Amino acid sequence: MSDPIQFKGASEMPMISVSFGHMDWNKTGAWRAQRPFYEDKTSPCSAACPVGNDIAGFIQKITEEDFEGAWNLIQEENPFPGVCGRVCFHPCESKCNRRDYDEPIAIHALERFASDFASSLGKKLKKIPGARKGKIAVIGSGPAGMSCAYHLAKLDYDVTVFESASLAGGMLRTGIPSYRLPKDVLDREISNVQELGVEIRTGTPFAEDLNLEGLKNYQAVFIATGAHRGRGLHIPGERRKGVFSGLDLLKKINLSKKVKLGDKIAIIGGGNTAVDVARSVIRLGKKATILYRRSKEEIPAFDEEMVEALEEGVKIRYLVNPIRVQQKDSLHRLECLRMELGEKDESGRRKPLPIPDSNFFFEVDNVIIAAGEEVELSFLPKRLEKKEGIVLTQKDGSTGIKGIFAGGDLTSNQRTVAHAIGSGKKAALAIDCYLKGNDSEEALRQVLIGEGPSISMFRYLHPQERLMNPHAVTFDELNTDYFEPSRRQREIKGLSKKRIRGFGEVTSGFTEGIALDEAERCFSCGTCVGCENCYVFCPDASIIKMGGVISHQVDYDFCKGCGICFSECPRGVISLKEEAR
Amino acid sequence: MKKVITGNQAVAYGVILSRVDVISAYPITPQTTIVEELSELTASGRTKTVFLKVESEHSAMAALIGASTGGVRCFTATSSHGLAYMHEMLHWASGARLPIVLVNVNRAIAPPWNIWSDQSDSLSQRDTGWVQLYCEHNQEVLDTVLQAYRIAESVKLPVMVVLDAYVLSHTSEPVEIPTAEEVDAFLPPYCPGYTIDTQEPMAFSTIATPDHFLEFRYKIQKAMEQVPEVAKKVDDEFRTRFNRGYSAIERYGKEEAEILLMTSGTVTGTSRIVVEKLIGKGYDVAGLKIKRFRPFPVEEIYKEIRGAKKVAVIDRNLSAGVGGIFAQELRASLYSKEKEPQIFGFVSGLGGRDITPELIEEAIRYTLDRPQSEEEILWLGLKK
Repeated sequence: MSDPIQFKGASEMPMISVSFGHMDWNKTGAWRAQRPFYEDKTSPCSAACPVGNDIAGFIQKITEEDFEGAWNLIQEENPFPGVCGRVCFHPCESKCNRRDYDEPIAIHALERFASDFASSLGKKLKKIPGARKGKIAVIGSGPAGMSCAYHLAKLDYDVTVFESASLAGGMLRTGIPSYRLPKDVLDREISNVQELGVEIRTGTPFAEDLNLEGLKNYQAVFIATGAHRGRGLHIPGERRKGVFSGLDLLKKINLSKKVKLGDKIAIIGGGNTAVDVARSVIRLGKKATILYRRSKEEIPAFDEEMVEALEEGVKIRYLVNPIRVQQKDSLHRLECLRMELGEKDESGRRKPLPIPDSNFFFEVDNVIIAAGEEVELSFLPKRLEKKEGIVLTQKDGSTGIKGIFAGGDLTSNQRTVAHAIGSGKKAALAIDCYLKGNDSEEALRQVLIGEGPSISMFRYLHPQERLMNPHAVTFDELNTDYFEPSRRQREIKGLSKKRIRGFGEVTSGFTEGIALDEAERCFSCGTCVGCENCYVFCPDASIIKMGGVISHQVDYDFCKGCGICFSECPRGVISLKEEAR
Repeated sequence: MKKVITGNQAVAYGVILSRVDVISAYPITPQTTIVEELSELTASGRTKTVFLKVESEHSAMAALIGASTGGVRCFTATSSHGLAYMHEMLHWASGARLPIVLVNVNRAIAPPWNIWSDQSDSLSQRDTGWVQLYCEHNQEVLDTVLQAYRIAESVKLPVMVVLDAYVLSHTSEPVEIPTAEEVDAFLPPYCPGYTIDTQEPMAFSTIATPDHFLEFRYKIQKAMEQVPEVAKKVDDEFRTRFNRGYSAIERYGKEEAEILLMTSGTVTGTSRIVVEKLIGKGYDVAGLKIKRFRPFPVEEIYKEIRGAKKVAVIDRNLSAGVGGIFAQELRASLYSKEKEPQIFGFVSGLGGRDITPELIEEAIRYTLDRPQSEEEILWLGLKK
């Protein structure tokens, strides 16, 4: 503290009362009862993403017009943004905090935009130079297998993928029609994985020329052969000629093979496969009717798929259950019962109950059964433990056999592309730990996104670069005073009349301008975007800009703990904790 | 370039041309369109100004005190209750010697609610240490904003530019708008005295004990005393560059006259017509426009007033218990001077009632007909 100055009079004095010393000696931080600190937190979208994308991070890159950077960031976790941006059921958007404000961010469309933008620039991944650490075999080139191969290649392993079909992609190629996922998008993302040095051997089915014995040269094996067998209805006549499995039919159509169908097609089931089949046969000029045994409320197909299917002329009959397929000349007579809904069953949906004596007949040329898919277990090694139709694994994808891992639809009933990609990534991390002799359970725990189960490969590879509290930011923790209501941008869809003329993509992606507008709507929950509200509002000028992994620091010599930074942070990045007494 | 613009737009042009760095304001009728215009200009990116949105006029001035201490040029605008709410911070701005410019659009203070012209708001702030300049027309409004920064930054005191509600604020007139180059040549960038510098921290507005407080106030008075000379110099330069100007006191009508009519603001515009008409009829009368209220232009007035026997003052304001404030200030400044004229203090047009040519003529005739005022306050146009 400086001593007070005595002036003789006005002529000696400065214009104002100003001390040429300063007040730095007065460490007002001692008054503090609570301490603010910076810690990025998990965005609810990322926590909900089965793949584990850093969604707030890549959207932030888009707002900075660094579209390539956005793509690079997605590629850290997901080799298939072009695929996921089109076909993922986007659970991220269901958890988007913006849903409680106006409308959720169109995350899927932004992911697709980043991928399509990078592709339009001809961006390719590069093989990582240097020696390989070991040889790994992946069985199955679907999303799980390719994701595992991709991350293992990035972890410096020499990976070979064995695929029974003539083309790679698994269910992405055979199960998803190209009006939803164009083949060139799939091809370019598979070729990106190959650019990293992954070898894909197509036409090599497991268990015939290839078995675990034959893979002894490989230090680890990841099995992801999927669930390709259509589930039967177990009704009389379902094996008649002209009755097909939905998955088999889709596979033929998707591989451009000839299919022989009559004009009037009945599709039994209410999942996405049923809708895919219906929309595909409509494109072949047929009439399609979906028969579903429950009501509109319970149907598992995605809403948007249903809307598009109805636009395209697909008919749907609810509360109808086929009990017999009869044949009359080339026609099939489908005997059905009308249903009503009873109490909730174990799936939480109301159970359909037959109405007695409500039998009626439905005449069609073909019957397609799309009542779910199951795993073909017969060709798998006997030693693999199986239960209720799937292969049993630990959380990290390891099986009871040392060095053998499994994932994707083979090991789970959550059969989505995103879950498959996530499980492949997790297995890649587990295989790395296994070969290094590390505890994979602990390693996984370290890189969980939120509560899990999805994980961050970026954080596994760069443990200090994206520190993140697992807490998923809630809507109440945001300061929405800093956001303005805005409409969610929508992708443009082709006219249904034109769509049904072929298998061209239904939805067009965002333009740069629209992508920017949509990205700017993102709250960036839990991630500092450098808005500097804290810096501007701090009454003690105690916020120090760092610009590194941690965006800011608090000068605790002077911070009085007023908490203004905490309450003015729009996105919940700043935390407060009580000072120890 | 000449444009037909309102008084409030003239303010905005003046502010933009002055290359103000920070604007902080809170809306209030009839000032609002000033900051609306400025916020649009700022938002459009046409100026590099920072526009701070605040929750009150008190905060608006507090924000500018911070910004001005940081060494940049600042502006705000307000009216009536807004100015009253700023009162504490007005003292702070002058005490801290910050050359902030504020435009006040004169409006009555409630109750009863009234949004029309009345000088009581700005004159209530006469003791806050601000220079006060009143304007007669929209051209003068724009020009006075430019001059205000020159004066404020020379003497390190804040300046309030005042214009009438609606009669100027919302009425369009042709205004010559100088080019940015012309204004840049007239108004150089602000060179602050003491400023906040994080590299060399200093404590501002620290305590001054009874040992020193009086001297700091003495310095403010000394700065006020420099204003007449500085303002004249600034106006002279302005006249050279722009061929127009505004002195603290302007006399019009007869060069020698028995009766003077003193007015401020837009009443002067009307008075010019009345005085001209009465001179045409052979009356011995002249007009006095008073532009600067603080510091009160004692010397300038005395120069013009010599020889006149009576001065009629029309006040659009009221200090209840005394009367019109301009008349009161005039009486005080002439007391004990040689040949002190008789003062006739008229109060009129409160709350925006028109001060018509007929009322002004009535005031002059009253003054002509009587050797001295028969009442302390002469209510002009009062409905009894």
